[in-house]
Amino acid sequence: MADWYQLAQSIIFGLIFAYLLAKLISILLAFKDENLSLTRNHTTQSEYENLRKVETLTGISGETDSLIAEQGSLRGDEDESDDDDWEGVESTELDEAFSAATAFVAAAASDRLSQKVSNELQLQLYGLYKIATEGPCTAPQPSALKMTARAKWQAWQKLGAMPPEEAMEKYIDLVTQLYPAWVEGGSKRRNRSGEAAGPMGPVFSSLVYEEESDNELKIDAIHAFAREGEVENLLKCIENGIPVNARDSEGRTPLHWAIDRGHLNVAEALVDKNADVNAKDNEGQTSLHYAVVCEREALAEFLVKQKADTTIKDEDGNSPLDLCESEWSWMREKKDSN
Amino acid sequence: MADNNSPPGSVEQKADQIVEANPLVKDDTSLETIVRRFQDSMSEAKTHKFWETQPVGQFKDIGDTSLPEGPIEPATPLSEVKQEPYNLPSVYEWTTCDMNSDDMCSEVYNLLKNNYVEDDENMFRFNYSKEFLRWALRPPGYYQSWHIGVRAKTSKKLVAFISGVPARIRVRDEVVKMAEINFLCVHKKLRSKRLAPVMIKEVTRRVHLENIWQAAYTAGVILPTPITTCQYWHRSLNPKKLIDVGFSRLGARMTMSRTIKLYKLPDAPITPGFRKMEPRDVPAVTRLLRNYLSQFGVATDFDENDVEHWLLPREDVVDSYLVESPETHDVTDFCSFYTLPSTILGNPNYTTLKAAYSYYNVATQTSFLQLMNDALIVSKQKGFDVFNALDVMHNESFLKELKFGPGDGQLHYYLYNYRLKSALKPAELGLVLL
Repeated sequence: MADWYQLAQSIIFGLIFAYLLAKLISILLAFKDENLSLTRNHTTQSEYENLRKVETLTGISGETDSLIAEQGSLRGDEDESDDDDWEGVESTELDEAFSAATAFVAAAASDRLSQKVSNELQLQLYGLYKIATEGPCTAPQPSALKMTARAKWQAWQKLGAMPPEEAMEKYIDLVTQLYPAWVEGGSKRRNRSGEAAGPMGPVFSSLVYEEESDNELKIDAIHAFAREGEVENLLKCIENGIPVNARDSEGRTPLHWAIDRGHLNVAEALVDKNADVNAKDNEGQTSLHYAVVCEREALAEFLVKQKADTTIKDEDGNSPLDLCESEWSWMREKKDSN
Repeated sequence: MADNNSPPGSVEQKADQIVEANPLVKDDTSLETIVRRFQDSMSEAKTHKFWETQPVGQFKDIGDTSLPEGPIEPATPLSEVKQEPYNLPSVYEWTTCDMNSDDMCSEVYNLLKNNYVEDDENMFRFNYSKEFLRWALRPPGYYQSWHIGVRAKTSKKLVAFISGVPARIRVRDEVVKMAEINFLCVHKKLRSKRLAPVMIKEVTRRVHLENIWQAAYTAGVILPTPITTCQYWHRSLNPKKLIDVGFSRLGARMTMSRTIKLYKLPDAPITPGFRKMEPRDVPAVTRLLRNYLSQFGVATDFDENDVEHWLLPREDVVDSYLVESPETHDVTDFCSFYTLPSTILGNPNYTTLKAAYSYYNVATQTSFLQLMNDALIVSKQKGFDVFNALDVMHNESFLKELKFGPGDGQLHYYLYNYRLKSALKPAELGLVLL
C-alpha cells in the first residue's frame, strides 16, 4: 500500500513538474516572441487596432475610405518628435513623390476625383503602402473569419521583402494608372512639396502641351530639317535630288517652314538653291505671309529683297501688306515702287 | 531636391543589400526597421505633421459625416490668446510692415520679387507690383499687425513675410469673418530654417487677437484637407512670345503662323455698352455680384465698400468692365481681371510675362462667352500676353470655347478652423484669392 502510494505520489509530482517545465518553456518562448515583436513593430500593433476599428465602422467591403483612414491614423501614430519638423528636412525625390501620391489618394477618396477603385487595386495599394512605410509584413496572420483584415494582411505579406523604394515606385505607378490627372501635375508636385517658398500661396501654372491629335499633317525630312534649322542635313537632301520646293501635305515648302520658325540661315540657303519665294501653301499664303504674321522682321526684309511679292493675295484675299501690322517702311516702299 | 537623395538613400540601400545577401536573417530586421522608421518620420509624414496639430480638416476624418460642419475649435476668450509673439531663432526678429511707407513697401516688394513662387522649371517667378501689394494688403478694415515681416537682427534685412487681410466669407448659410492668408515668402537662402511654421503660427495668433478664428488660404500642394481643388487654364494672347519664353510649346506639326491666327482677337469689344467700371457703378455692381455669388457653397461676401476697394479699376492692378444696357442704362453684366506679371528668368529677349487673372465675372443679359471674349479683347489691347482663369464659379462654361488650354498647375483651397462636411466642386466655389 505504501509502495503504491509512493508510486502514485512520484507520478503526480512528475506530471506536475513536467507541466510546470512545459509552461515555463512556453512562457519563455512567448516572451521572446513578444519582445521581438515589441521592438520591431509597435506601430503596427496600434495601427492594427485602428484598422479593426475602421473595419467595424466601414463594414467588410473595404472602401477606399478605410484605407485612407488607416493611412491617416498611421501618420498620427508616429512619434511626435517635433511638431514643426516638416520644413527643410531633406528627403529624396522619391519620398516626396510617394508622399504626394499618398496624399493625392487620400484627397481623391474624398472629392470629385473619386472613382470606384476595385478591391483588388485597393489591396495592391495597401500592400505597397505598408511595405513603403513599414517594410516587410511581420504582423501575425489575422483569423480566417476576419476576411478584410486577412485580405489586407495577405496583400502586404505576399510582397515579401520588397525594398521600400520599389514599393514607392510601384505605388506611384499604380496611382498614375488610376488617376491620369495625377501625372499632369506629377513633376510639379515633387518640387512644390519640398522646396517651395512655403506650403501656402498661389501657384505658377503654364500651359500643358497638348499634341494636336487631329492634325493629319504629313511632312518630309526636308521640311523637318528646315523647321529645325538643320542647314547641313537640308543641303544633303537637296544634293540627293529632293526638290527644293517639295510640298508637305498642307502645300508648304521648306522655305515656309524655315520662315515660320525664324531660321534666316536656312532661308538663305534655300533661296541660294533657287527656292521659289512666292510659292503658295494650300491656303494661298507665301513665305512672306508667314514672315509678316509671325512678325519676323529680318526674314520678311530678306524675302522682300529676294523679290517676294508683297501684294500677292491668299485665299482670304489678304496680301502680306494687308496682314502687316508692324511699321516696316521697306514693305510700303516696295509696294510704291511696284 | 534632386541632389538631396544620397545620404539617407544610401543607408537604406545598404540595409537592403544586407537583407538580400543574408536571406536567412531576414527576420532580424531591426537595423532595416530603424533605418526605415527614421526615413518615414522624415519624409512621409513631415509635410503634414504641422497641419495635424492645427484645427484643419484631417485626412482621417474624410467621409466621417458624424462631424459637424462649422468651427473645429470654439473661439477662446481673448485673454487666453498668447500675448507675446512666438519665438524666432535668435538671429531673427519680428517686424510689422507698414505698407503705407514707400520704403517698407519696396522691401516687401523686393523680397517677393526675388524669392516668391516660381514654376517648377524655375523659368518664371511672380512679380507682384508694389501697387498691387498695397491694394491686396490694405482692404477696408485691414490690420497692419497682420503684415508680418522677419528681419535678420544684424543686417536688418527683411528675410521673410506673411500677411493676412480680413474678409467676410460665406460658407453655406453662414457669413464668417475670416483672414485671407497670403504672400508667405521666405528668402531663398533661408529655406530649411523652419521659419514658415512659426510664421503661420504667428499670423494665426495675431488674427486671434482681433477675435477672428477662421482663415482661408490656397496652396499648390495638398495639405489637410482641401475644400476644393481647382485647375488653372490659360488663354494665349501673344502666342509667339509665350512660345519663345517657354510658357507654351509649339507642336512639331503646327506652324507659328497658324497658331497666331488661331488666337487672333478682334480689335475692339463686341458687346454694345461694354465699358470700364466707374465709381458711380459701385452699387449696381455690388448688387450683381451679391446675387451671383449667393449660389456658391463657399463665396466671398462683398458689400459696397469691398466692391469699391477690390473692383474699381486701378491702373496695372485690377481692371473691371461692365455692360450698361444702351436702352435702359442698367448694368447687366460685369467682368474683371487683375494684373500679375512674372519675371522671366534667364531669357535674353524678354524680361516680363504680363498675365491677366480672371477675378469676378457675372453675366445676366450678355452671353457669358461673349462677355469673357470681350474681356480677352480688352486684355489683349492692354498688352497682356496671357489670360489665366481657374475653373471656379461658372468659368468652366467658357474656357474651352474661348481657346483656353489646361495649365499644369492645380490650386487647392483651404479653410482654417472650419470643417465642411464634404468637399466642393470648383464650380461651387465663389472665392478668388490673389
